[in-house]
Amino acid sequence: MRARVRSLRPAWVLASLLALHVAGCATPPPASDPDALADFKQTNDPLEPTNRVFYKINDVLDRFLLRPAAIAYRDVVPEPVRTGVHNVLGNLGTPVQLGNDMLEGKPRRAGDTTMRFVINTTFGVLGIFDVAKGWGYPDHDADFGMTLASWGVHPGPFLYLPVLGPTDPRDVFGFGVDVVADPWFWVGKGAVVSDLGYAKWGLSALDARSRLLGSLSAIKKTALDPYATFRSLYRQHRRSQIEEMENDNRATIPVWYPQPKPAQ
Amino acid sequence: MTIGPQSPSGIRNPNLPNETAAAETARTDTTPPETITRPHMLHRRSLLSLATGAALAAGLEPARADSTTQSATAFVTKTGSALVAVVNGAGSAQDKRQKLTSIIDQTVDVDGVAKFCLGRFWRQASPDQQQRYIKTFHQVLVSNITAKLGEYQGVRFNVNRAVPNGEQVQVDTTVLRPNQPPTDVQWVIGSPSSDPKIVDVVAEGTSLRLTQRSDYASYLSHNSDNINALIAAMQHQVEANQANG
Repeated sequence: MRARVRSLRPAWVLASLLALHVAGCATPPPASDPDALADFKQTNDPLEPTNRVFYKINDVLDRFLLRPAAIAYRDVVPEPVRTGVHNVLGNLGTPVQLGNDMLEGKPRRAGDTTMRFVINTTFGVLGIFDVAKGWGYPDHDADFGMTLASWGVHPGPFLYLPVLGPTDPRDVFGFGVDVVADPWFWVGKGAVVSDLGYAKWGLSALDARSRLLGSLSAIKKTALDPYATFRSLYRQHRRSQIEEMENDNRATIPVWYPQPKPAQ
Repeated sequence: MTIGPQSPSGIRNPNLPNETAAAETARTDTTPPETITRPHMLHRRSLLSLATGAALAAGLEPARADSTTQSATAFVTKTGSALVAVVNGAGSAQDKRQKLTSIIDQTVDVDGVAKFCLGRFWRQASPDQQQRYIKTFHQVLVSNITAKLGEYQGVRFNVNRAVPNGEQVQVDTTVLRPNQPPTDVQWVIGSPSSDPKIVDVVAEGTSLRLTQRSDYASYLSHNSDNINALIAAMQHQVEANQANG
């Protein structure tokens, strides 16, 4: 059952990408208006009309499905349990995170991730409690989109995809790699495993959406053009994640070796 | 920012002007600090004298940078406490909005932010449009901040560190709201020592004024660059938010 869904998912992404190409593209402003042309290039959203259609579809899905579910989740499930769920999901993601830390060439981050996995799986009772954070191993973001960025891959034009939401070609590809690279993707078969798989996807969606309840409604309330606002926010957020990763140049020097002073 | 006797940047450039030193320590700087001479490659005595010289030469400059970052930190602490007091305090929505307005008037460089958000259209706007735009922007700012802060009770915040960046100082804070993950919020403070004003607020790496600017730019490009239409939409938005409380 789950295997079929798995094989369907990439096909679906492909199909939507094809649809993007067939459907309308934004017309660039004439060369006689250099300011507008510069804006157009900077926005780098040639598929804007199509993207806006998907934005509307996602917005409806969110309004009638995801958001109500997230509100129910927030209101019914007590806060400590939600935090525990969030931590367990994060802990399940550490193998992929570790792989990306290493591919990004960030040994200290890889060390943090390993220690987090070891500590939180044991002392943190299968990842329910984030003990490692208090012990000096804070969490950080790592995914294959960021890894590609660290290799110099540009994000490309903006994309807004069904279900996935705001993204770009680099991050869509990265998302696919992360899904396939996840050991849980390959673990066993059978009803229990596939049910657990669905539960993980569903909980991840609820967890992520419930943590954004306040900010998303505030953005929709305060933006004149929510689509453009999300586009800007997505890019800024990715850039800051990547910048933070690239600036994390903590030295890996054994404790017994003379330590250089950390650059402030 | 500290340039101590053993600090690599102190050894490397005792004579650099303060601005360069500040830029070097700023987080956005990408120059790898690996060009420094490794301490263990020098004789201990020469290292010592170098370090002392560096400390003496740099002695006055960090003091000035420290006072700048300190005044920026103090400003953010004061402003943040005032905001938190209003948000957490009792009083009607009307009451809170009034208090927030006065805080914003005193602490935000509203005109500067407004101009930034209009981007290239500022130059195209007539003086009358500019005036109406700034007035409306002011209302939008208050209404947006009320919308963002209003829902929360029990907000707390920690001031972490301050980093000078050119003429401005970035002050890092962590905002803690009940039932929400902690949020990293960076305040960009202009002219910190003379007349500190908030120039930008960066939440989780997303700049408020940059986001606002792209929102307006997109609205204008879909409304044939009509600034009057933008002002009308802004006014409409303020009214809608006020109607919702």
